[in-house]
Amino acid sequence: METEDFAADAALFARMRQMWQDVDPVPADLVDRMVATVAVEDLSREYALLTLVEASQLSSVRGESDSATLQFSDGTTSVLVHVTAAEDGSRRIDGWVDAATLAIRLVQAEREWSANPGDRGRFVFENVTPGVARIRLVVKDAEGEMYDFQTPQFEV
Amino acid sequence: MGAMTHEGAEASVGSAEPTRWARAAALFVKWRDGDTRAMDELVRLMTPLLWHVVRAYGLDRALAEDVVQTTWLTLVRRHESITEPQAISGWLTMVARREAWRVGKLQRRADPTEAESLEPHLPARESAEQTAATDDESRRLWLAVAQLNERCQRLLRIVAFEERPDYARIAQDMAMPIGSIGPTRQRCLGKLRTILEGDGWGGDSDGD
Repeated sequence: METEDFAADAALFARMRQMWQDVDPVPADLVDRMVATVAVEDLSREYALLTLVEASQLSSVRGESDSATLQFSDGTTSVLVHVTAAEDGSRRIDGWVDAATLAIRLVQAEREWSANPGDRGRFVFENVTPGVARIRLVVKDAEGEMYDFQTPQFEV
Repeated sequence: MGAMTHEGAEASVGSAEPTRWARAAALFVKWRDGDTRAMDELVRLMTPLLWHVVRAYGLDRALAEDVVQTTWLTLVRRHESITEPQAISGWLTMVARREAWRVGKLQRRADPTEAESLEPHLPARESAEQTAATDDESRRLWLAVAQLNERCQRLLRIVAFEERPDYARIAQDMAMPIGSIGPTRQRCLGKLRTILEGDGWGGDSDGD
């Protein structure tokens, strides 16, 4: 192809790029959410560790009438976790994060669960196998800075 | 054009900046070498490109987001099988195109009228502010592109955003013969130019 044609085509493609960026822009928070989703998935990553600041008397759930509540924090970000047993013996984990949460994941040795962080930092993991687990999450502060954390292991 | 020494320069058309293709490769190699934060930058660099490639397949915005996410998770889970880290940009867009094609087929089957006839022709106008902000030139160009057939629209959008379009793979993904992609691309560009000329493209003073 002639150089001139090539340059003219390249210019038209550049205008089309601009046009699609204008009429069909990338959703505002998509990039941050993708960064967070990949981060909680990346096992090679080193996460800042939250510490256990409070646990209910019952540290593990044995049966349907049991429940356990744990709170983790690094002094700035807190994660509250409430574990209950379902009829089928699996666990349900209701949680709450006091920061805008972009991605959150529950990790066990054999399996992982994703949750969609909902309004006001709430999240739910259902049908979780009883055993040792930890939670990984990525949050964004008011300045838009992103942080990733993991809890110590706890029994569900 | 000046001398360019780095890899991937051939695609950068007169720019001294490393191409996105080259930057993506460098970040991926850094990540593999243990710099976990390089992945964040790779995701930031490539997500907008993946969005436009996926949207070229006419998926609605929610499905397009899912496909972009699947593409990234595929990278994390299968990165060990990537034998050419230098070609990571092309690998990602290939995964995105294949997933978009697969998901698009399901969407069309589930809702033939919506997916086939409406979605690819309607740009997302999320708010009045955004509509107002849309550049007039972009609007006219979009109206011209919208007159092309669906295949042309898809091909032009993919080629516009992929720095190094892989014609063999695009041909496979679009169910077209490999040899026809280059000519099809030129034919689509030619049609677009004809429409634009008919609209008096180039004179900026007319219209609103």
